[in-house]
Amino acid sequence: MVQIGLLSLYLALAVSVYVLAGSLVSKAIKSPQLLESTRFSAYLLPALLGVATLALISAFLQHDFSVEYVAAHSNLAMNPAYTWVAFYAGNEGSLLYLALVLAIFSALAILLMPKDMVQSLPYTMAILMAANVFFLAVLVTMANPFAVSAFPPLDGQGINPLLTHPGMFMHPPLQMAGLIAITVPFAVMMGQMIDGRVGDEWVELARVWTLVAWTVLGIGILLGSWWAYTILGWGGFWGWDPIENVALMPWLVLTAFVHSIMVQKRRGMFRMWNVVLVNIAFTLALFGVFINRGGPVVSVHSFASTALGWTFLGFLGLGLTFSFGVFFWRLNALRSMVALESSLSREAAFLLNNLLFLAVTFVTLWGVMFPLISEIFQGKTLTVGAPFYNQMNGPVLLVLLLLMGVGPLLPWRHATRATVWHTLQVPVTGALAVAVVLAALGVRNLFALLSFGACALVVISISLEWARGVRARHGRGENYLLAFGRLIAANRPRYGGYVVHLAIVMLALGVAGKTFYGVQQDVNLGPGEITTLRGYTVQYLGDRSLVKADRDEIFYDLAVTLPGGKETTLVAWRAFYPDKNMAVTRAAIRSTPWEDLYIISSESPDGGRAIFRIHVNPLIWWMWTGGIVFIFGTLVALWPQQGFALELASSRRKLSPSPVRTEV
Amino acid sequence: MSLTRKTLLLLALLLALPLVLSCMTQSALTIEEQAQAIDKGLMCPICAGETIDQSQSTLAQQMREVVREKLAAGETGDQIIAYFVERYGESILAAPKKAGFSLVAWGMPVLGIVFGAGVLVLVVRRMRRPASQEPQGSSAHAGSGDGEMSPYLAVVDEDLRQLIGKGQSPPQSKAAS
Repeated sequence: MVQIGLLSLYLALAVSVYVLAGSLVSKAIKSPQLLESTRFSAYLLPALLGVATLALISAFLQHDFSVEYVAAHSNLAMNPAYTWVAFYAGNEGSLLYLALVLAIFSALAILLMPKDMVQSLPYTMAILMAANVFFLAVLVTMANPFAVSAFPPLDGQGINPLLTHPGMFMHPPLQMAGLIAITVPFAVMMGQMIDGRVGDEWVELARVWTLVAWTVLGIGILLGSWWAYTILGWGGFWGWDPIENVALMPWLVLTAFVHSIMVQKRRGMFRMWNVVLVNIAFTLALFGVFINRGGPVVSVHSFASTALGWTFLGFLGLGLTFSFGVFFWRLNALRSMVALESSLSREAAFLLNNLLFLAVTFVTLWGVMFPLISEIFQGKTLTVGAPFYNQMNGPVLLVLLLLMGVGPLLPWRHATRATVWHTLQVPVTGALAVAVVLAALGVRNLFALLSFGACALVVISISLEWARGVRARHGRGENYLLAFGRLIAANRPRYGGYVVHLAIVMLALGVAGKTFYGVQQDVNLGPGEITTLRGYTVQYLGDRSLVKADRDEIFYDLAVTLPGGKETTLVAWRAFYPDKNMAVTRAAIRSTPWEDLYIISSESPDGGRAIFRIHVNPLIWWMWTGGIVFIFGTLVALWPQQGFALELASSRRKLSPSPVRTEV
Repeated sequence: MSLTRKTLLLLALLLALPLVLSCMTQSALTIEEQAQAIDKGLMCPICAGETIDQSQSTLAQQMREVVREKLAAGETGDQIIAYFVERYGESILAAPKKAGFSLVAWGMPVLGIVFGAGVLVLVVRRMRRPASQEPQGSSAHAGSGDGEMSPYLAVVDEDLRQLIGKGQSPPQSKAAS
């Protein structure tokens, strides 16, 4: 099996080199036959990498500890369900996973390329294949997951216990897939640029692929914070950890892009800017892939200590040089002839949105890099942690939230102060009223009032948009339900976007609730003892232990009296892995939309007493529910409009010399 | 209608002002609240990337106790932080100090954002000088003021046109036949 896996990797490398060279040659000698041949060869890649993946997974299932990777990331005691997690738990496996996902996305991108973009297809294919070649070459030369040891151990070292969590089935694969998928919109756009098609033809296709990458990455990030919340034991969901940051940065840039692309789609503006955004997102994604697969800490060492680090750095540099090289080459042609009519318009709001998203990205990148800078210039390591990011990014994110309530109400092109005030007065009054009511109810923190007020602003303005649209349609004789459905159907990017905005508001509610009104308490309880926190009474009943093959589990039984007087029981869980000298906890959580009661066990002294950290986290429930709304919103935005969106967009372009731009 | 809205707004503003002002005066924090704020600013020396507030290790538990003892003994937050920096070095701080070289960490993002905003303003100014005049025909969204429904009706009209255009045979082919 192992040999088959390695063989498929070599075959995949050969195929991708052939497609890379063949597609460029086909363009040079204008041979459609060669192009077709390379095109079909590219479809082989997912199959070959699928075989390699299955080979590695079957080695895990057969406990073939002669394979070094299997021995390092599993053992006999491991639940076979976690084979999937073990598959990408280490360096080599995660690179194989990345190569698999890249191959699938590349094949899909080539398959779904509209016919009128066939001129730039060879370049797009070449760029996709360059990335494939890179990962495959790294796999066969530096990070072979099928490396076999001469003296196989009797049992493996086992999987990292932190990874044995349901969230781990989805979080790392989605996050890595989202990062690597950014290659597709990048390749589509670059192909058109190299071919000299600097107009708006690439926009719709790149938008669809960007939304795919953006959604996958977004869900991956959110699942990661859910994992952190339930397992890491500090009751938080976001630590501004380098691993989190490097996934967040490309997501932020993509968010800026999915907004500003709407301006190009509708008004033919910001052409240069959009190219720059895709370039930045792609470079940051490569950076994220590098940090994700290996070095958890960004330091001089994570780059310099291994040949792999240098290789990734080299590829990163190459990507950056190439993308901006093409950009400057096409700079003159990219200049847009459309003028910005007013700084009080939707276009201007999008520009401000982009500035703010890039500001958050810059702050985050700076925070990630600063320890390195300090190490180089001062010779001492510093920590740049949560307080830095919260103080720098918090206010910018708050302004973004406010802008989210105002921007969608501004008209395209230009507006007068009077018309803007006319559209804004209801949402602004409503938001102020919400803030006043909250203040009267005892909310005293200024930032909390601003946050909740901004949330109200967004919700009211979106509701108004919907209500007005439905009312206008109803006036044409449609019943309200039909009008609502047709309103969304008629402009999915716009109304899908609004649904995503609502999801972001839910996320913001969770963040604000936890940040401003979360309370915590450390308690040391003997069996039978009681503590109280914000209306909850928690009694520690005692513990039960369970010895498993690889771990000792302890269940802490807790009797809880809720603020309303109702009683319930909760169980906090802790396991100690002697082989790894590592403890893993699972919080006991009682979740309601209003607030979470969250109890987690700490390292406890012997002798019957137990130490707990108890949190009350208001509104966190909204954060996770918001994730579902987020997925729904992106599906609405992505769902093909009347048949196949791409074909439609391209045929529409063919029919009319000046493209009909859909309302956003 | 718009008059009542305006009065409503004025009323809201008047109500909001004293409340906002009252937010500025924070009530005194308890020792535990102060301690938790200090915990969040100190890294656990033996844990990867966790503050002593986050970490459940015994060392972090002991450090938390030290913070509370010192607060109870009347030391200020700054004194306690200085105590830990002296013992463990500057990397114990969860965020760089706002002094000396570390000030760069805080200053650079602010400079970057100000620079970005400056560039944006310049770009907007340049873009506002039109390079070529665009036909002004289809400014359906300008909101010319004839009733608050008009921009929405225009949107709906446009959407309907597209829907109908797609549902039936495209007008272009009709013209061709």
